[in-house]
Amino acid sequence: MNASLRRTLWISRVTFLEAVRQRFFAFLLVLGAAMVLSSVSLRVFDFGHGELKFIADFGFGGMFFFGSVLAVVMTAQLFFSEIDNKTALTLLAKPLSRAEFLLGKFFGAWAVLGVFLVVLAGLQGLVLWAREQELIAMAEQSGKIPATFSVLGLGQLVLMQWLRLGVVIAIVLAISALARTFLFAVVVGSLAVVAGQLQWIAQDAFLRPTDSQAYAAFLWVSTRLIPNLQQFNLADALVLGSAAVEEGALIAVGFSGLAYLVAYLTLGALIFRRREI
Amino acid sequence: MSAAISVRHLTKDFRIGLRGLKLRAVDDLSLEIPRGQVFGLLGPNGCGKSTTLKIVLGLVSATAGEISILGESYATSAARRRTGFLPEAPYFHKFLTGRELVRYCAQLSGVAAGDLDAAVEDALGLAAMSEAAARPIGTYSKGMLQRIGFAQAVVHDPELVILDEPTAGVDPVGSAAIGRMIDAMRTKGKTVVLCSHLLGQVEQICDRVAIMDRGKLVLEGAVEDVLARRDRHVLTVEAMTPAARAAAEAALEAHGAKLTSVTHPRRSLEDLFRELVTGSRDA
Repeated sequence: MNASLRRTLWISRVTFLEAVRQRFFAFLLVLGAAMVLSSVSLRVFDFGHGELKFIADFGFGGMFFFGSVLAVVMTAQLFFSEIDNKTALTLLAKPLSRAEFLLGKFFGAWAVLGVFLVVLAGLQGLVLWAREQELIAMAEQSGKIPATFSVLGLGQLVLMQWLRLGVVIAIVLAISALARTFLFAVVVGSLAVVAGQLQWIAQDAFLRPTDSQAYAAFLWVSTRLIPNLQQFNLADALVLGSAAVEEGALIAVGFSGLAYLVAYLTLGALIFRRREI
Repeated sequence: MSAAISVRHLTKDFRIGLRGLKLRAVDDLSLEIPRGQVFGLLGPNGCGKSTTLKIVLGLVSATAGEISILGESYATSAARRRTGFLPEAPYFHKFLTGRELVRYCAQLSGVAAGDLDAAVEDALGLAAMSEAAARPIGTYSKGMLQRIGFAQAVVHDPELVILDEPTAGVDPVGSAAIGRMIDAMRTKGKTVVLCSHLLGQVEQICDRVAIMDRGKLVLEGAVEDVLARRDRHVLTVEAMTPAARAAAEAALEAHGAKLTSVTHPRRSLEDLFRELVTGSRDA
């Protein structure tokens, strides 16, 4: 194995071990799991939607929200704990490049988010499957065909969400490489996630004709600088089959996410290279 | 052979605050640290010692000046592969055991997989940490933290070892143990650069010293040369009586010399402490 890759993997391994020991990770995992499990008992408040859709929306909403919080806060914390505790001094005095260090942090944090998603999605799948079996049994008696959920779609959704959180981690690392304090990185990182969720508004506005060159330039820059995080939210379509998702569309979303991920990691590495430890 | 560290006209300015006020931490420093010696870099807090070491290691950028390590350009992977570093007040991941930390650092330093086990055990043995290596670092005392820090710094058998305040906060017994480790590195032909406020220990261990103040080099040379007062002499006399003293004074005056003080030799408090608590270990 390439020496650089090996060093990156060692950093990510220790980062992963550090992250999974954090109470914050355990707290959000328990909170997310509680939200998934409580969706069954709260389904009476389904506002007229299908039961499975309500359960899926509720559970995936928790996974999506707590995953975002974890990606922002945990990534900034993992980065600043190395800087503030001066463990970065020990590590970066070794033949380890700044880019390898940052990549190691990225992969460690991304692996933790992968565990978070797999656990919660697995739990969500179990809840959906159990309720589906009950609905099928009831439908057989009444003769109605119930909505079903797709295990393959659930897997695709986990991958899409993982990629989305990977983009968030890359953005937070780029911000952390520049920021002087943990709080600044968390606040700006959170704003970046909100901006990413609302990016489609700028995209819509950009497509409408305007007389102002400055406004058009602002929208052009915004729509390219900020990734559209909303495009990864395909829970209904993928898991419950509420709309057909073409394979090409999934691949396009995947490439878009990877492009942003690589771009923000590169930016972070360039900023971090000049940082004084 | 090139010097272990060569610094020429090094200057470092830090920008402070929104207005970018300039603080000069290192001011036109030129220094040659020869190979195979223990070199003490001394000075009061804030004199620029640690900044100089961080620049040499590529952790902080220089404003101006030229630096080379073991003949190679500084801040490169090649130079860092041949260098070990123990930072001031080291902090390591508490959940790792001592052995896991040293292994982790060995892997980052490029120790070959086949040599890994032997290198880790050698470094742990040198730092006298073999027995405690299976314990999590969170359970270590201050002295043990410094010793495990020393082990991670030397695990890849570097030619140059830089130790920033290795004895800070360590009791005299632990401090003496670190002194022995430094001595062992010298015996192996390594170059050791040591920043310390324990001047007594520096005097005992170092071959050469440099003293910095306000970012500038104020003195550099071999310890013997910089400490010796060539115009004064010390005679140690046993069983001296008043008559013998008077005779000695008269004899000295007859040759134009003058006895200026007569005192009893003292041992240092550190020596006394170490003598009394010999064998105690910090665990």
